Amino acid sequence: MKKLIFIPAWNEENSIEAVISDAREHVPGADIMVVDDGSTDRTAALARRAGALVASLPFNQGVGAAHQTAYIFALGQGYEICGQLDGDGQHPASEVARLIEEVEHGADLAVGSRFAGNVNPDIPEYRSTFARRLGQRLFSLLVSTSTRQRFTDTTSGMRALNEKAMRLFADRYSSEFAEVESLQQAVRAGLLVREVPVHMLAREHGRSFIGPLTSAYYIFKTLIVLLIGQLRPKQVES
Amino acid sequence: MIWLLAADTEPVVRLTPQARILGAILALAFMVLILDLIRRDKLLERYSIVWFLLGIGMLLGAIFPVALEWLAKAMGVRDVTIALFSVTLLILLALSLNFSVIASRQSKQITRLAQQQAIDGIEEEAGAVEGRDR
Repeated sequence: MKKLIFIPAWNEENSIEAVISDAREHVPGADIMVVDDGSTDRTAALARRAGALVASLPFNQGVGAAHQTAYIFALGQGYEICGQLDGDGQHPASEVARLIEEVEHGADLAVGSRFAGNVNPDIPEYRSTFARRLGQRLFSLLVSTSTRQRFTDTTSGMRALNEKAMRLFADRYSSEFAEVESLQQAVRAGLLVREVPVHMLAREHGRSFIGPLTSAYYIFKTLIVLLIGQLRPKQVES
Repeated sequence: MIWLLAADTEPVVRLTPQARILGAILALAFMVLILDLIRRDKLLERYSIVWFLLGIGMLLGAIFPVALEWLAKAMGVRDVTIALFSVTLLILLALSLNFSVIASRQSKQITRLAQQQAIDGIEEEAGAVEGRDR
């Protein structure tokens, strides 16, 4: 099976090389692609030097557009399975390898969940602030209700998917809240979506601070996005 | 019933001649501005037509107050200025919504272009590497 591991990255010069070598080590035989989402630092140059394919978006478009770039590329090049992990080093490639296995065993989309259970006692538990956890819970509740399938980590960007799922997302992919909405989209389109317990690491570099007002805005936006998602016509296989 | 309602709403507040002259001048100035924007390539014809129609509407309303009174009567309001304001507001609302739709479409098109450019970049690079190997 032709596999592609892609890494969406926006100004991740501190971690990108480590992420690429981690992916190369744990997913042998896969091509590695970095979608550089308009970085202004050396992310693209370092990724290229590390031997990855680099797709550089001319300006920052948001994580949704970056994911979709990889899906469009993968479909065009005939990749059958696509694994994705964040460029900031939070996602161990060994865990992505397990998601890829899940897809090889029949899932259309496998999503790594930080909150579905402890899987590997060697890696310290993923830490998060109370507010973030609360937000996560709420997202999970909303997505689980709208899809009638239990999800525990709806904002996870650690995923693996097959051609069927790639086609769905290449056609339409949320630019606003990609991770959350795509779960609903996939379930509604009749895809087999599996959540797999994984470990993630705390961020080493970069910031991920989200204030209370922003959180409230995100929650409100998610609500609207999911509501509209429920009203959208179902996407069918073409 | 409808006749009863209509009888009660004969417009009583009308535009003063002063307001009409001012309105006509503004409408003409507005249309000159639109033409100038098109002339200087600041506005695409496609988007100017609707603004131009709005200018003509303003001018007509100023020249023929009967039209505004008829409008107020049809809406069932006794004040011509209120009829004018609410219709203007609705038109502007519809226009700005229309622009949001256009902006959304263009933003999607820009994303697609950016993605395609990024993908083409990979393929070119791969081609260059192959060329070097030979």
